Amino acid sequence: MSIPAPLPLPAPPPVPLPARAALRWRVAVDPGHAALMAILLAILGVFVVLPIGVVLKVALTGAEGGMTLSHLVRFFHTPLYMESLVNSLVAGLWTVAIGTVLALPLAFVVARYDFPGRMLVVTLATLPLVIPPFVGAIALMQIFGRAGTVTLLFQDLFGLRLNIMEGLRGIILAQALHFFPFIFLTVTTALMNVDRSLEEMGQMMGARGWRLQRRVVFPLVLPSYAAGALLTFVKAVDDIGTPFILGFKNMLGPQAYLRITTVGRDDVDGYVICVVMVIISIVCVLASNWIVSRREYATLQTGARAPEGGRTLTGWRLTGVLGMCAAIIGTALIPHLGVVLLSFSKVWSLSYLPSAYTLGNYAEIFLRAPRFVVNTLVYSVGAALLSVVLAAAIAYLLQRGRVPGKGLLDWIAMMPIALPGVVVGVGFLRVFYGITLPWIDQPLAATWVIFVLAYMVRRLPYALRASHAALHQVHPSLEDAAGIAGAPRLRAFRRVVLPLILGGVIAGGVLVFVTAAVEFSATIILVSRIEQSPLAYGIYIYSQSALGRGSAAALGVVAIVIVALGTYLANRLSGRGRMAFTL
Amino acid sequence: MRTVMRSVTLLTALLMTSGGVFFFPARTSAQTQQVAVITSFPKELFDAYKAAFEKANPGWTMAVVPKPTSAAITHVRERAARPDVDVFWASAVDAFIFLKANNLLERYAPPAEFRRGVPDKVAGFPINDADGFFHGFAVSGYGIMWNKTYLARNRLPAPKEWDDLIKPEYFGHLVITAPSRSGTTHLTVETILQGYGWQKGWELLIQMGGSMGTITERSFGVPEAVIAGHYGIGVVIDFFGLSAIASGQPIDFVYPSLTSVVPANVAMIKGAPNPEGARRFINFLLSDEGQRLLFKPEIARLPVRTTLYAEAPKGIPNPFKMRAGVQFDADLSAGRYNVTNRMYDQIITFRHADLKRAWESIYRAEKAVEAARAAGRDVTEAERLLIQARASARYVHVSEKMAAEVSGGMDRDAAYRSAKEREWGEVARTSYARALQQANQIEELARRR
Amino acid sequence: MRLQPVDVEVRGLHRRFRDAVAVHDLSLLIQRGEFFTFLGPSGCGKTTTLRMIAGLLEPDAGEILFDGRDMTRVPPWHRNIGMVFQNYALWPHMTVFENVAFGLVERRAPRGEISGRVEEALRLVGLEGLGSRLPSQLSGGQQQRVALARAVVVEPALLLLDEPLSNLDAKLRVQMRNELVKLQRQLGITTIYVTHDQEEALMLSTRVAVMHRGHLMQIGSPQDVYERPADPFVADFLGGANFLPGAVRATSGEGIAVVLEGGEVLHASASRNAGFAAGERVTVCLRPEVLDLVPADGAADGGNVLHGTLRLRNYLGWVMTCEIELRGGALIRAQAANPRVQLRFAEGGPIAVRFSPEDVLLLPGSA
Repeated sequence: MSIPAPLPLPAPPPVPLPARAALRWRVAVDPGHAALMAILLAILGVFVVLPIGVVLKVALTGAEGGMTLSHLVRFFHTPLYMESLVNSLVAGLWTVAIGTVLALPLAFVVARYDFPGRMLVVTLATLPLVIPPFVGAIALMQIFGRAGTVTLLFQDLFGLRLNIMEGLRGIILAQALHFFPFIFLTVTTALMNVDRSLEEMGQMMGARGWRLQRRVVFPLVLPSYAAGALLTFVKAVDDIGTPFILGFKNMLGPQAYLRITTVGRDDVDGYVICVVMVIISIVCVLASNWIVSRREYATLQTGARAPEGGRTLTGWRLTGVLGMCAAIIGTALIPHLGVVLLSFSKVWSLSYLPSAYTLGNYAEIFLRAPRFVVNTLVYSVGAALLSVVLAAAIAYLLQRGRVPGKGLLDWIAMMPIALPGVVVGVGFLRVFYGITLPWIDQPLAATWVIFVLAYMVRRLPYALRASHAALHQVHPSLEDAAGIAGAPRLRAFRRVVLPLILGGVIAGGVLVFVTAAVEFSATIILVSRIEQSPLAYGIYIYSQSALGRGSAAALGVVAIVIVALGTYLANRLSGRGRMAFTL
Repeated sequence: MRTVMRSVTLLTALLMTSGGVFFFPARTSAQTQQVAVITSFPKELFDAYKAAFEKANPGWTMAVVPKPTSAAITHVRERAARPDVDVFWASAVDAFIFLKANNLLERYAPPAEFRRGVPDKVAGFPINDADGFFHGFAVSGYGIMWNKTYLARNRLPAPKEWDDLIKPEYFGHLVITAPSRSGTTHLTVETILQGYGWQKGWELLIQMGGSMGTITERSFGVPEAVIAGHYGIGVVIDFFGLSAIASGQPIDFVYPSLTSVVPANVAMIKGAPNPEGARRFINFLLSDEGQRLLFKPEIARLPVRTTLYAEAPKGIPNPFKMRAGVQFDADLSAGRYNVTNRMYDQIITFRHADLKRAWESIYRAEKAVEAARAAGRDVTEAERLLIQARASARYVHVSEKMAAEVSGGMDRDAAYRSAKEREWGEVARTSYARALQQANQIEELARRR
Repeated sequence: MRLQPVDVEVRGLHRRFRDAVAVHDLSLLIQRGEFFTFLGPSGCGKTTTLRMIAGLLEPDAGEILFDGRDMTRVPPWHRNIGMVFQNYALWPHMTVFENVAFGLVERRAPRGEISGRVEEALRLVGLEGLGSRLPSQLSGGQQQRVALARAVVVEPALLLLDEPLSNLDAKLRVQMRNELVKLQRQLGITTIYVTHDQEEALMLSTRVAVMHRGHLMQIGSPQDVYERPADPFVADFLGGANFLPGAVRATSGEGIAVVLEGGEVLHASASRNAGFAAGERVTVCLRPEVLDLVPADGAADGGNVLHGTLRLRNYLGWVMTCEIELRGGALIRAQAANPRVQLRFAEGGPIAVRFSPEDVLLLPGSA
């Protein structure tokens, strides 16, 4: 038995390899992975980078070619655009503010106290997420508008003329009622994750009650809240459906749409507005990510988490808390009530409730014009499938791939999260109108496939996150073990990895489906023929004809049902107790 | 068992995924032919025609591209090199005149059977383009619709004539859309101008503008607001009112005696990808079947084929028998199209808040004067001022002659146009501000002593 | 089971991760049927080596041969090996039966045969009848047996075990260790085992390779590496040792005299420490368990005695460990059996250690 010559201690630093002719060098890049990476980058390049790049290029190209900022400068000297910018920002800020006022008390009560109906409060408080804000807007008009139920009540009882839905106010109300659950969920989660011992330490140091909340709890929860609020702001600015339904056009999204559709696809101003929207969005998303990356100290404490619930409430405190919850949730559920009522109404004019009811609106959308629902299902399922396949491949490469360029892939794939729907729509229109499909002799942008692709791009980050999380649960050794057991790589993926991530991946797909089913911003830019239009545009079209509100509401109910079922399914599949909704 | 289940799920998932990648539309097969129609009409209308057209023309489908008129023009203009629609179908005759002038329409002469029983003119307005580029398929009159519940709640009488709308009690209850946004409203405004004359017409329009609760962005916004009860009375094209009545809404509609009737049109796009389809669609619109469809309650439009009025449902008037108070002069209207619209925007739409405030104060001052008179006080001075205030609040700066003079220049020169617009807007602002100040002064005067 | 074990040869194996060399120029031969263990602290390169042999990791350079056949580029699924992972890597969506049958299905074993062979493998690890359970319904020990059954059911030419016992509690670990060695002897399969636990390594293996920072430090039988560690690292890693620098003063047939830096003279047995010449610098290696604690004034009857002060004593019941500061200032550890008697020495008091020349191990060079 050979005992090698003893080596000096400590072991020597890494030495360069001896130059031996027989040496065989390992290939650092897996060719299969490299090929996959190339395909993925090509797909993302065409459908993500190219459209946004073209928007940027048009906005920054001068009349004689060459880079210029003059268009952008002109934007800030055009009163209408400045007014639109201010309106968009103001609406976003107010949405966040009102959303916060609704969400914070609820979140605090749910995270800190135990009382009967607590879980019910949590469930009901997330329900507004299932009603798209532009659907809610239709209902809110019927309740708070000039001839709305509440307005009439005030007029008849107190002689007061309320004016709640006028102008920006209506948009803010509709958006705040839709988005406040985002804030509620982020803050509740953060509050529950705050290590109880931190609070107890604060108590021992003498802080109590409000002071304890202010000095210990709020600073710990603030980062989560800020991140959630920023993303809510982004989504509020992105939403152009609500302004459209309420007929308010002096905001960025509607202006971009109007420029592109009435002035023309070559109108620079439309692209400049898009660029401004992207800048706002990117700034907010980056800020949010930065905050999240810094907040680890608040949530990654080890040890006992706050137990479910907290102090039990009794007596007048209980009454007060229940009253507050009922008031907030009651307000938040008004749109649901309004939509359902409106969908069954035949005549609802200047009365508290409809004066004649009908099933005709449902007959209209299911029997006479079922294409809206069918189109929505086709597009959303298509988008979900495509994005799930893409996302699974991307997540696999990111986690297991032996190939350079993973950072770039990740970055591009997550980019759509900061791209407003209008921008995706405008970019798609610009790029894919020039591409003619030879076998049907039509531009790609004129076929229904464009919706599938646009929705796929819009929601890819959702699917990617879900796939990422699912794949993260699968230890690499499971795949190694399959390889050892005799399964080549693809078979190992199919027999071991795929079944294990399928639940999470499908949950991601369902999420894509759900959000694509109510996508409005990109839709309204891309839609040309009514035969191709999905539900969201159908709602808009119906709401545009004086007698179509009922049918619009009926379509809205269909949208709500799709979203609610999908969300429930996604929750079941991803096995999480909480809403699978991610911002 | 579980294994079986699992493999089935897996297989399904795989099939679905691969299907998602490779499945591509095989929809546009050669079996059916398609005619694409771009239109500003509401869903009720094009849906009914789509169903009927496809039934009457087996093997044909009709694709609809719904756009507001201005966006529809842009759509056609941008795709002039490679049109993707065959038919342009809308109300406003101006749009067709524009398309024709820009060489975007194709001449077409429908067979004689489809022209049978269609007169050349309705109330002096030519139904078809003289050169055969576009064809009237329905006629519409303009009038006033109101919400009966709304009027009852607010104890208001129903209006009959345009000048009823300037009665003080209607203040804040009216709704209209800007003529620059809606071709049909432009025709209404022009009807009033031609019916009452330029000066009186504008005074009426300005004072009416003061009474408007809102000026909507879209023509649909008016019937919508009236049906929902946001406002009581709307200035609309007839079918908005008639269709709302037909569908059981608490709505009523009247043609004022000074009204006009004009046709809604259809035309074939130049270089239409499917000219055969375009011809079929136009023929269908003009056929008895297509014309009868207009009588459907949710459409409620008036056919161009006079012979059909024998079978018209109750409540549908015959425009060819109507004593239209205004012989609509289309050339006059087209000649000052830009001036009318821009003037309306500058002195009414954009100054709406000022105008509203001025008239509100004037009506309040009138009441105060009335009260003073009833109390036996001397109101001569107040009444003299009142006349001044009313004149300021409906001051027409541009005479008909001036309008004709600037029209050409405004069409050609953007700088000239914006200078003129600024001038009109500025004059309007100062006039309305003066009216407001005078009205406040009168009120004070009337309350004194 | 009809196993056809292979021998495994590794030539010049080299693997780098970014800037760190994980395995450096490793060459060795593992005999057919051998139970071979890579032993070393975490990060020494043992797992990297195992994964390269498994084909899960490609070497930067070097060759891997099974029975002389070059396997370096052969993917794992063609190497016909069985492997047990540290976390067992049982597929959670498959039953025990399906887990074990997986490899047979992949190898296209006849359908009728699979069930019998899986049952046999489960019986071999004592899990008959549990085939329909899911991994999550099993205890840690049972999961480990499933992993083992899954590894051997395909009748691999080579069995790889990556710290398979580290996730078990102490008692179960001892039990599994015994079963593992029995199973390996019964099957006669070439087995490569990776562990950082010296007890496991010494007990299970026919041969042990001690690795440190990517380098192979020593290969030998368990007794070899324990009794004759090639260098201070091996000595310290296997069982622990005290190292005292010194120089050979004289050699004779019976013994070697060594002068420590403090001037004390020790005697070492010449039979255990061959090949040292007078004047050579050496490191004296003393295992803690060979040092007897004696009173400072006790007689040195034939053994070596070093004097010092008791600095620390840790009473552990069955044993007592002490730290003693020698007169020269060096700190040594001693481990005394029968601690009841040794409690007479007080911390801070004078003490001496006694040991026989047979227990003195000399390593060339000074640390």
